[in-house]
Amino acid sequence: MTLLRGFLWLLGFQLLGQLAVEWLSLPVSHAMAGLLLLLVWLLVTRRLNEGVAAASQALIPLLAMLIMPGVVGVFFVIDEFAGHWTAVMLALVLGTLLSVLTTLWLMRRFMPGGAASVDTEEPRP
Amino acid sequence: MNEWHASLLNSPILAIALTLAAYLGGVRLFERLGRPSWCPAVLIGALLTATGLWLLGLPYPDYQRDVAWLTLLLGPVTVALAVPLYQQRQHIFALWKPILCCLPLAAALAALYAVVIAWLLGAPPPVLASLAPKSVTAPLAIGIQEQIGGSPSLMLGGLLITGVMATLFVTWLARLFKISDPRLIGFALGVNGHAIGTVRAFELGPTAGAFASLGMSLTGVFSALFLPLVWRLFGF
Repeated sequence: MTLLRGFLWLLGFQLLGQLAVEWLSLPVSHAMAGLLLLLVWLLVTRRLNEGVAAASQALIPLLAMLIMPGVVGVFFVIDEFAGHWTAVMLALVLGTLLSVLTTLWLMRRFMPGGAASVDTEEPRP
Repeated sequence: MNEWHASLLNSPILAIALTLAAYLGGVRLFERLGRPSWCPAVLIGALLTATGLWLLGLPYPDYQRDVAWLTLLLGPVTVALAVPLYQQRQHIFALWKPILCCLPLAAALAALYAVVIAWLLGAPPPVLASLAPKSVTAPLAIGIQEQIGGSPSLMLGGLLITGVMATLFVTWLARLFKISDPRLIGFALGVNGHAIGTVRAFELGPTAGAFASLGMSLTGVFSALFLPLVWRLFGF
């Protein structure tokens, strides 16, 4: 029952998110708006109710399984890559390598206490 | 025999059962292979699902329609990500400055690098538009796509490859630079590798998971606001 009550809370916040998105015509998804609203609610009331905690603990491990059907689609659209195969692959692989490098470097650079590292010794460009 | 087949294909239960079986099989194989970071359980599961669809003769659009009964849960699961964020609030507040400094730059560059590389290699605007939301979580990326154009399937393919690559590169570069802080690794996974990176981060622990959810949601919201605006400015 605790689980069910928590699930109802999550659905409630998703519906609130939907209302907020429609009302303010925000460019974010209903669920993302629901996430933000629930976070604000938790931060304001400073109390995590047992049901919501139980439901999130049960649901978050399912995330991987729930994104899988979307991934399956990739095998059925591979033809669309055909014309620009090299450009697309290089952009994705090289682009991601560069962006991961940048994120790690930036985070380390701004981390308090400056987690001692080799690359923070360089002057900032 | 043919009637049974048709009746089975007509019910969404088959698609859902196939998805659960493929996912569990994917996780089992992933464990058996020694949890390789270059091939997440999701990818193995997706391959198994595609094979299952082919064997059953179930067309992908039909599968997509049937499995929507299951993927509807993606909504409440996304909302549930607020809980680890709340539970890790002290860690997050302690780092609000680096997070706020890095995020806009990191999220913008994640899109920019890919678009510029593809543009230099002569990809046309629709392909560029499909690549721009590559680090954004799928439901938000679909929203961005509606605003800037491009091909939805190419975009979802790009999302998958980006997620796998980000998981791989974060693991690899963290080892190379001797970074072991779960907050930093989690954040990098979420910003660059959206839901696939976040799944990986939760495998590493709750702190990495919370920072990945944070990175993923911030990147998603920032890109949803920023990409359509930039696209309009440059008049693609």
